[in-house]
Amino acid sequence: MSFDQSQAPVLSLRNVRVTYRRPSPLGRRSSHTALADVSFDLYHGESLAVIGRNGAGKSTLLKLLGGILRPDSGRLYSTGARAALLAHQVGFDPQLTGRDNIVLSALLLGFSRAEIARQMDGIIAFAELGDFIDQPLGTYSLGMRARLGFAVSSRLEPEILLIDEALGVGDAAFQAKSSKLIEDRLKSDKTVVLVTHSIPAVRRLCNRAVWIEDGVTRMEDDVEPVLAAYMDAYGVKNPPSR
Amino acid sequence: MRPRQLVSLVAFKTYAELRAEASRYFLSIFWWVLDPILSMMVYYLVFGLLMQRGGPDFIPFLLVGIVVWQWFERSALHGMASINGNGALMNLIQIPKLFFPAVTTAVDTVKFAIVFSLLLLFVWGWGYPPSMAYLALPLLMLLELALLAGLALLLAAAMPLFPDLKYLAEVSLRLGFFGSGILFSASMVPAAYQDLYRLNPMVNLIQAYRDVLIHGVWPQWAGLTGVVLAALLLLGAGLTLLRRFEYDYPRLLSR
Repeated sequence: MSFDQSQAPVLSLRNVRVTYRRPSPLGRRSSHTALADVSFDLYHGESLAVIGRNGAGKSTLLKLLGGILRPDSGRLYSTGARAALLAHQVGFDPQLTGRDNIVLSALLLGFSRAEIARQMDGIIAFAELGDFIDQPLGTYSLGMRARLGFAVSSRLEPEILLIDEALGVGDAAFQAKSSKLIEDRLKSDKTVVLVTHSIPAVRRLCNRAVWIEDGVTRMEDDVEPVLAAYMDAYGVKNPPSR
Repeated sequence: MRPRQLVSLVAFKTYAELRAEASRYFLSIFWWVLDPILSMMVYYLVFGLLMQRGGPDFIPFLLVGIVVWQWFERSALHGMASINGNGALMNLIQIPKLFFPAVTTAVDTVKFAIVFSLLLLFVWGWGYPPSMAYLALPLLMLLELALLAGLALLLAAAMPLFPDLKYLAEVSLRLGFFGSGILFSASMVPAAYQDLYRLNPMVNLIQAYRDVLIHGVWPQWAGLTGVVLAALLLLGAGLTLLRRFEYDYPRLLSR
């Protein structure tokens, strides 16, 4: 768990605002401000937790960091490091075989054809699917699909990995395997942003934390002071989910 | 995403779409071919037999028009829905939105290629063998591809911004079907309306295909320059709109 806060941050948000609008040329426009005023820094090699109640704007924040959205106002400074959301079963199609789904999903995640060919056997082995790999995905159980999805997405190694919430991946045995892989990633010197409700997970896995409430940064500091203030604000050990 | 990555992604997704469709409907390839034939039979019945219009070569005349039009119309409609229908995906990964209309256009183009090959055989069997004028076919197809890709792109880019566009586009395409010289020859339109009628690029394109396939003569190039212009305009407008709203689509389509 080493990171250097004296270095320039890999990503910086300053007074960032994101509003969702519904198009309606004739009627009133409905809008919803997901992020009103968010500022924080992300340093190379750290694992940063983003905490806050449901609806605080955490998912929008990850999309912003992942380059999916751009802010309406405020600035997002980046060193150009590639950030990607850890997303499972991206582009999966039930009519295609497991093998074709691996190629499609990996291409969507940004792998080249050559890279996919090189990783194919490893992915199939990790997913523990055996001969099912050449069957249509539609014949898989939910657990098998989840395993295949994770086997592909866990190959992704962007410079900044964005993880949203607890990941329900497969059966108990596989869950342990996938959790371990994510924990290894978090504990390594990779840069990770973790959005979660789990206080123990934040304590165990992260160096620093940002607390966001109603689209506004409330606090950015080491894990313990942020957690203390967060729990203090709601007067309970496990903050309520709205 | 680098251009090369985008190209291999579009190519594989196109293959996957066709493959998925073929496995969903056992007879799907058969239906791609049968569909224009059934349409032709409907119009032949109404206009050829009941109204006694069309003349002796009405069947190949209709088929050429319908096959060429269907490629155009399907690409436009599928393109229009392409970005709108992929809100979930574009909220998970950062992907150039050009990907979505590119895939639907590629899928419709492969289907057209299959149907068009059979059309060539049919026209030959009807008594019009290939001629030197066939050399113009690749150019005609390229021109039509540019035109429909431009329209697909523009509709794809505009649809999430103006959802009501769907109805407008559907009515316009219906007008286009009856106003592109598919059921009747362009020369049947009164002289007073000819100039206006020829503004529709599909009129000139369909006539050009018929000139080559049925009459065995070179297309009238003058009419086709307008098609080039229309294609460039649509492509330019579509790309501009797409680029302008690239990062707004995930927001507009987030739920």
